[in-house]
Amino acid sequence: MSMRIVNPLNETAPSAASAAPRLANLQGRTIALLDISKPGGNIFLDRIEQRLRTDHGVASVIREMKPTFAKPAPLGVIEKIRHVDAVIEGLAD
Amino acid sequence: MPALRLIAILQTDCPTCRLIAPYLNILADRKTPVAAISQDGEDATHEFVRQTEIRFPVERDPDFQLSKRFNVVTVPTLYVVDDQDRILRQEAGFDKNALNEVAALFGHPSIADPYDGAPAFKPGCTSRHLEVHTDDPGAAALDLHSRTGQRASVIDLADAEDPVEYCYRTFGDALPVVPPTVERVERMLAAAGCDAGRDPREVIARIPPCFGEATVEKIAANAVMAGCQPAMMRVLIPLTRAVCDERFNAHGVQATTHFAAPLIIVNGPVRQELGFHCRQNVFSNVARANSTLGRALQLILLNLGGARPTGIDMSALGNPGKFSFCIAENEVENPWEPLHVDQGLAPDQSAVSLFAAEAPHGVSEHNARTARGVLKAITYALATVWSYRSCMGSEAVVVLCPEHVRTIHRDGFLKKDVREFLFVNTGIPVRCYRDGEPGEGIAQRNMYKEITIDGEPCYQKFRSPESIKLVVAGGTAGKFSAVLGSWSTGPRGSQMVTYPI
Repeated sequence: MSMRIVNPLNETAPSAASAAPRLANLQGRTIALLDISKPGGNIFLDRIEQRLRTDHGVASVIREMKPTFAKPAPLGVIEKIRHVDAVIEGLAD
Repeated sequence: MPALRLIAILQTDCPTCRLIAPYLNILADRKTPVAAISQDGEDATHEFVRQTEIRFPVERDPDFQLSKRFNVVTVPTLYVVDDQDRILRQEAGFDKNALNEVAALFGHPSIADPYDGAPAFKPGCTSRHLEVHTDDPGAAALDLHSRTGQRASVIDLADAEDPVEYCYRTFGDALPVVPPTVERVERMLAAAGCDAGRDPREVIARIPPCFGEATVEKIAANAVMAGCQPAMMRVLIPLTRAVCDERFNAHGVQATTHFAAPLIIVNGPVRQELGFHCRQNVFSNVARANSTLGRALQLILLNLGGARPTGIDMSALGNPGKFSFCIAENEVENPWEPLHVDQGLAPDQSAVSLFAAEAPHGVSEHNARTARGVLKAITYALATVWSYRSCMGSEAVVVLCPEHVRTIHRDGFLKKDVREFLFVNTGIPVRCYRDGEPGEGIAQRNMYKEITIDGEPCYQKFRSPESIKLVVAGGTAGKFSAVLGSWSTGPRGSQMVTYPI
């Protein structure tokens, strides 16, 4: 006899969003650097910022920080970097 | 009393606006004159009303004239206005106390239950007319607050298929599960009140990090897989709400590289009613109630929340508690108030508490004859929580065995004395910070408090006595207590939550 089983998995359709177009180069672009508050993140991102400015000719760099790495970024942080050309997020320590 | 009205300014993609909508519905159902102003377009507003099942009038504010007149900064903002349009009170964001006070202004009892799964407070979003505008529409907002979900699909297994193997491959983790047949799930649903009219599609919570809908039916299917008896549904419903309480931060607990797993601690009469075990082997394979409740929570987190141990759950070493992690407090051998009373509930109230815990670390002390002797042994285990030089960031659950409790109690210690003793005697010697090597906890030492323990200058390990959660459990033979370290704690990490059953 066949068995009928109730699906215990999440069946909610995920909402899909397409990735933003990739940048061909960084010349004249505005780049956000997002620090997630992990120890050492600022050291890593300081160096990235320096290289973006000296080697890649970016127009500006915006630095933002999550209040805690343990939770998703609050809307206020996302709002401040929403308009930039690209975001580089410093994950982990 | 002049005729009062309540006006709410809302946005359709603001999570806090979605959170507040059902509470406004309750006010509308109680004949409160509630009206909302949506800052969004017609389609988005219509969809928002449909998803959140709003039962009060919603007007649009296409050019933000109304928003500007109210000078709204944050959505949601509630305005209590009188018959001459004077604003008597305004409340920005979501705040249960404020909602209850607003309800009282209209002569109603409380509308926001502290244990309904929603946070006590949640800030809102920037009013649309103050936002920076871009042409990018972004992704569609997740529907996180509608109260009714979908029925689960039913899978017909072919005769040749072994049901246990199929379920193991398709639904479980590494441990085979009981197939959630339609008949077994129906028995669970009946116990949850669905034979008396409860809708099995009722959404109890959405499980982070993927926010799968935990409907009564989905909880029931996972409970069957875990081997629960139908009566366990009365615990699983509040437990599912509790694990999704924002203070617990299941998103972080489920995704972290750390060891943390949700430890369930059961208190109150439900322990006897459903057979929860609180004595010897309390952390292990001793009782069906403990084993299956812990297992069901893990399957719910896995199958509905989506943090699989080969994917989003990134734990470096994991935790054996991710199969099942559930204890009950031994309230009979506990001469003090039990955990749920510490957490603000009545002694005869059944309750579940959740703590993002590491595995138990044993403290064996058979020779100490005084409270001080036993508790000193425990302070040395507490001092190593997270990492020895890391102070102020961690918490711990201390599970005291009955023999240790008797020794401590005999010396006249109240529960608060135990907590205070552990707090003031747990520290890291200042000399440990002088070896010149980089190490965890060193950079933060200027924030630490210097104390003296047994004549030695130390940094205090914990923020406060309340960082140490005391539970009595275990067998009556053997002087073995345990310390369970925390993950990141406080509002920026995971906080212990306790829900009534």
